Amino acid sequence: MEELNIGRTLLAILIAVGTVATFTAPDAKSFMNPELARMVFWHLPNAITSTLFLLATTWFSLRYLQTKQEHWDVRATAAQEIALVTGILTLATGILFSKYQWGNWWDWDPRQTSFLFVMMFVGAYFALRAAFDDPTKRASNSAAYSVATILPLLFLIFVFPRLPSVANTSLHPDVVRKGGFDVSYKTVFYSMFVLIGMLCVVLYRLRVRAGLMELALEESYAELASRDDSAATRMVRPVSLSEPDRQEGPRSGG
Amino acid sequence: MSSSWRTEIVAVLLKEIHSEIRSKAGLMSSGLFSLVTVIALAVAAFNRELSPGLSAGLIWVALLFASAISLPRAFLLEEEQGTMDILRLTARPHAIFWGKSLFNLIQMLLTGFFLSFLFLFLTNQTLGNVPLFAVCLLGGCGALAGTVTLCGAIVAQAKNRSALAGALALPLLLPLAFLAVEALRVPLGSGDIMVGWRGAAGLIGYGVATLAIGPYLFAAVWKS
Repeated sequence: MEELNIGRTLLAILIAVGTVATFTAPDAKSFMNPELARMVFWHLPNAITSTLFLLATTWFSLRYLQTKQEHWDVRATAAQEIALVTGILTLATGILFSKYQWGNWWDWDPRQTSFLFVMMFVGAYFALRAAFDDPTKRASNSAAYSVATILPLLFLIFVFPRLPSVANTSLHPDVVRKGGFDVSYKTVFYSMFVLIGMLCVVLYRLRVRAGLMELALEESYAELASRDDSAATRMVRPVSLSEPDRQEGPRSGG
Repeated sequence: MSSSWRTEIVAVLLKEIHSEIRSKAGLMSSGLFSLVTVIALAVAAFNRELSPGLSAGLIWVALLFASAISLPRAFLLEEEQGTMDILRLTARPHAIFWGKSLFNLIQMLLTGFFLSFLFLFLTNQTLGNVPLFAVCLLGGCGALAGTVTLCGAIVAQAKNRSALAGALALPLLLPLAFLAVEALRVPLGSGDIMVGWRGAAGLIGYGVATLAIGPYLFAAVWKS
């Protein structure tokens, strides 16, 4: 039986407590529809976490291009996967928020739209990875693309929603920055941000570990295959019996 | 820039021009695509008055797709013809990138001016500020050339590369479209002139940044 990890168990308990707190915190009056605004406890932390992991992807990709060490590619892919999951959650919770606060599922709000475009980078990154069979080319080309996205990424996340002509049309509430939350709401909000961030870091580290193990396994297979007299050529691999084999059955003599 | 750099860049540019003159495939495809797109847009807008913002948006959407279709060819063709290795031996990666980007810029400028003037002619619109319009097109085409050339280089050895080049380039070009529409609507008759020039400066900045970062990323891909 696997050993109980105290840290992860504690994190799971804290997330459960945090989830209950998101339902029990008193309403924030600054929203248009306060009782249906609790989505913000999940929406904003996911958006921030996704952005941080996207920036981390670019950094890991840059390190890969500089060093050509495969573990940076594993880190970049893991970070991009976490960014994708949290990004989808951001969009999904944003759509629900939009419906119950502003009346429409999709309002072409500048922040909503720019985040959708950011997710297109993530989609393109994975499409590019899928198009290469050679792991070295896959790693270097996707790293180059990831670094190329940094300028539009920063523009879409930090500049575009704040452009004077665009910011005026935004429906996004600015209650967090302007301090529109009371103390209990703020406490739950920041706690959720920390907990979601920690959960994503745990998931990221697990994904990196799995990726590095895959790399080590591939390397050992390659090493075995390169030895002419190695056991790899004589290795008996477990195989499943195909349907015709089973139907054939044992041959009877005579 | 040292003379050897200049020689290499000019050599790559001339090579691209010569092969384009021989085949005429790039200009023909982007020219025909622009013509068909503009006619389709003009037919869709038949008997309707287009606002400057909408006209600017339509022009840029047509330019985005024209660039995504024609510009990645610069690298895809090398891969298809099997001349990538010869190119690798004859010039440095930065020179190759700039040479091909320059060629793509020329091609995009020809396409851009042809497409936009044809659109304005067919939809009966007039230009208020010709210099601003020209600067917008120049900056926008520079950014398009740099971005799509880089995406073409990234996907050159990938499976399904022709479709992938466009899929990769378009998300990178969307921020450009915001700037471009913001800037181009001014010479078409809407908004403050300073907003137009600010947008044009943004376009040029985006183009310069792409053309500056591109060679380094291309060199990293090229060496693998």
